[in-house]
This record gives sequence, C-alpha cells and structure tokens, in this order.
Amino acid sequence: MSRQLAMLTLLLAGCSDHLVGLSGAPTPLARIQVQVEGDLAPLRPPGTENETPQLRVALVWGAQWLNEPFCFLPPESSEADLLIQAGCRDSLGFAPARVAANVAVEVGVPATLDLFDLPAADVMVGDVTARIAYGSLIVYDDRDGSGTLELRRPSRDGPEGPPPPDGGPVVDSKDIVYGASFVSMALPDRRLAFREGGFLTAAAFYPRAGCEPPPPGFSLLSAGGFSLDEARAAAILGRLPEEDPATCATSTLDQAVVTIALTRPADVREVACRVRRTDGSVRYNEPPGDASVLTGRTWACVGFPTLGSDPVPGQQLVIAAGADESCMGLTHYALKSCEEDPGCATPQWDRTASPPDWWPCQVQPAP
Amino acid sequence: MRLSIGVRAVLVLVLTLVLAARPPVAHAEEGIGDLRVDAGLVVGLPAALPTGTSTGVGVGVTHGHTLAWGARVSWSNATEYTTSWAVTHADLRLRAIGAFERSAGRGSFALRLGAGGTLVHETRTRNQGMRAGLEGSDLETSAWTMLPGADLELAVALRIAGPWAFVLSGGPSLHLRSSQIEAGWIGGVGVAWQP
Repeated sequence: MSRQLAMLTLLLAGCSDHLVGLSGAPTPLARIQVQVEGDLAPLRPPGTENETPQLRVALVWGAQWLNEPFCFLPPESSEADLLIQAGCRDSLGFAPARVAANVAVEVGVPATLDLFDLPAADVMVGDVTARIAYGSLIVYDDRDGSGTLELRRPSRDGPEGPPPPDGGPVVDSKDIVYGASFVSMALPDRRLAFREGGFLTAAAFYPRAGCEPPPPGFSLLSAGGFSLDEARAAAILGRLPEEDPATCATSTLDQAVVTIALTRPADVREVACRVRRTDGSVRYNEPPGDASVLTGRTWACVGFPTLGSDPVPGQQLVIAAGADESCMGLTHYALKSCEEDPGCATPQWDRTASPPDWWPCQVQPAP
Repeated sequence: MRLSIGVRAVLVLVLTLVLAARPPVAHAEEGIGDLRVDAGLVVGLPAALPTGTSTGVGVGVTHGHTLAWGARVSWSNATEYTTSWAVTHADLRLRAIGAFERSAGRGSFALRLGAGGTLVHETRTRNQGMRAGLEGSDLETSAWTMLPGADLELAVALRIAGPWAFVLSGGPSLHLRSSQIEAGWIGGVGVAWQP
C-alpha cells in the first residue's frame, strides 16, 4: 500500500504543468498586412532631411463628423472660395477619432499590424444590433519617438479645446503623415471595417452606396470615391452618393496586403487632425481689440450660412488657420452673437454700436 | 507580536480541542457506527490561480473513531479575468485522509489531514475574441495538469437528528507546482450521515 502511495505521489509530482493562468501574451484580435511603397526622400519637408525617419503605420478609427455649412455650401464670393480652399478641410475627408495600433515599417517590406482591442462603442456608428467602425491605415514618421501617432487639433481651438493633461502649454505633434489608405471619400480608398450585427445601408457614415455591404467582423473594403458635387446632388435628392460598383472590393484580412503609397505630407496631413466639432456647428467669437488675428491669414467677410433655418442678417469675419499651422480650421468672429447662434434673441455680446477700428466687415446697426 | 495566520489557526485548533476535551463517550454507547459519509459545499483558493475563490461541491467518507481514515473528493470552479483573458480553473481534489477525532456532547471535533492530487483543468478564453471572429486556439485554449497537494482542516460536526449532522470545516491547503509550494486555503459546509 505504502509503495503504491509513493508511486502515486511520484506520478503526480511528475505531471508536466501546462497551465498558463492569468499570464501569457494576448492573442491579436486582428492582423493586418501592410506595405509602404514609394520614395520618401523627395517628400520630406524642409528641415527634416537630415533626420533618420522612423516610419510607422497606425490604425486609426474614424470619427463620424459633419463639416460646417460654410465649407460645403457653394461659396458666396471669390473671397469666400479662397477662404474655403485655405481653411476648410475636405468635407468628404477621413477624420480620426482614436489611434488603435501602431507598427514599425520599412519602405517596400511587408509588416503585420496586430490589433489587440476591438473598436470601442464610441467609434462605432449604429446601435448594438447593427453598427460599424471604419479605420484608415496611416503612414507617419514618428519624429517624437513615442511609438504612436499623436493626433493633432486645429490650433485655433480657443476655450473649447481640451487642456493638456499636465496643465502646460499645448504642444503640437511632431509626427509627419506621409500617406494613408483612406484619405477621403473623394479619392479611391481602402479602409478597415469592423461590423457587428446588421448593416444599415442608409447610414451616412463614410458611405459606400453601390458597393456590397461589408461582411460581419473585420474586413478590408475598397471603393473608387465620388465628388463633392455628386454628394451634394445626392443629398438634395435625399440619397447617398453612389460608388462605381466596378471599383468596389471586399477582402478578408488574411487575403490582402494593404499597400500605402507615400504622399506629400501637405496632401494627407488632415487625416491626423481631429475635427473641432463633429456636428457641423460653429462657435462664434467676440472680435478682439486689435487686428493681429488677420496677420498672415486668409480671411473673408461672409454672411451667416444656414441650412433651412431663418436667415441671419449681417456679416461675420471668417479667418483661416495659417499655412504654418498643422491643421486646417476656421475661426468665426461676429459683432453681435451668442457663442452657438448668431441669431439668438439675447446676444452674449453686441459690438455693433462700437465695432473695433480694424473690423473689416459690414456693421449691422444695433436695433 | 503579530502571529501568522497559520500559527493562529494552529492555536485555535489546539484551544478548541482542549476546551472540547472531556471524558470520551464511547461511540458504541451512543449507538454511533464507525462509518461517516459527508457532502456539502466547498470553497477555497484555486489550486493554480493566484487569486479568486473557487466554489463547488465535495463528498467524503471516513471510517473509525479517534483515529479515522478515509477519502475525499471535491470539485470546484473559479473564473478570473484580465484585460485579455477570461481564465477558468476547475479543481478536482482527490485526497486520502487521516483524522484525529474527539467527541464533545452532541458534536465532535476532528483534525483532518488529506494528501493526494488536484487535477486542474484550465480554460482560457480571449476577451472579445468571439466578437472579433476568432476561432480555434486563437479564441480558446485548455490544458490539464495534476498537482500534488495536501490539506489540513479542522472539522466540526454537530449532530442534528438521528444519524444526520451538520459539518463545518476549514484550514490551510498546499500545492506543489513547478517545484514550489503554493499555499492556499479550503473550507466547507455540509451534512454528514453516520448511522
């Protein structure tokens, strides 16, 4: 008996332990094959040629956003048109919400980007029965060595911009974007999709009407794009702009390598710029005391564009972000207005009786 | 002076046995047999997880009086979570036991030493893996192992009606894993049948 017990003990002690428990590396939830193509040297901005580039690819989930009416309605004047060119981001462009994953890459060498977290509910559009997230794969030079793409904000955020975590001054990202798989719906794009549940064909979240709905789970989608004029025309008819079905494609992650072409940073920088307001609303400001806000910037005096609501008399001064700033943006000044509504019954400020000396626009007389 | 939990447990055990000491009443005089079967709920630290509470059921058989011997089997289950994994451990404890037992009034106290093995079945499920469409070993893995183990329990039994008694037990538990002894604890509550 004792011999049998001893043998049993030895047997038990000899069992190999295959348990992992709470430790162990997590399995990626998705693996995306990427490859960067092109010649980086001629694209590098002045002053960065002598740096050693640290190219990385980031997966960035897209934000649902709407441009302000001034940017997508037909311009009322040539000055307004110039201002739109200088300060409005592409109304069909990709706007980032959150960086999900990063991987170091070399030009011409395939790399695998591992995704360890699913997109959170705030980057998915729809309800729990049918929702979807779209992501763009962005190539960037990680100049600050942080290992991740830092998203930028328009620098003229003013009081609505969030304060930096340490309470210090806002420091803009040094990262330079050199390309993206999904820049704009006005261009051919290749995007990562994550779908849960059904698919809402009427949803206007980076729509690709005319293409097959994305399959459930992760997939890579391609589309040829449509113009802003086509989008306007479709909107008037209450429809979504149509993609050319011949340009549509869907593939699984293990079938495809996402090739991203290196591009001039000026053409793609907005994909790393957050939008100030995602609902298309405008924040109006009281004019400052001096004209320094106009220095070196494109500006125009324009009316208050509306989308079917009562017209607001008078003019506003709209100023574009400077060419040296990292993101496009507009700042609106009005002599009489509330922050959210220039036609409000009780204005938060009224300078119509004593406008600043430098005020270049029409003055609506005080009642 | 602070005493470790183990030392305090032993002191409580000794004190309990001393207080319970009284002229023993022969089981035969009370009409109680040598065989006892008990079953109930089991709770304890998982054998191979550093945290959590494993809950389940157990059953035991002992034979004898002052010095008894027998066997116990218990199955318990615990699930713990990290940001990436949900880990479930099912512990099947197989013990040969020896017990030192004293009767006290309608009850009895016993110091029970069990030794044997604990068969651990591990299931690891990747959080969000099903939503992401993972399959196979990317989604879930499982493994088995047998760990040598031993338990020292103080068991208190109180006879309620006829051969039926209420049983409460608990004490330290040890497992040998990767050449290291890992301490834990185990407890139980249940009923015993002793004709």
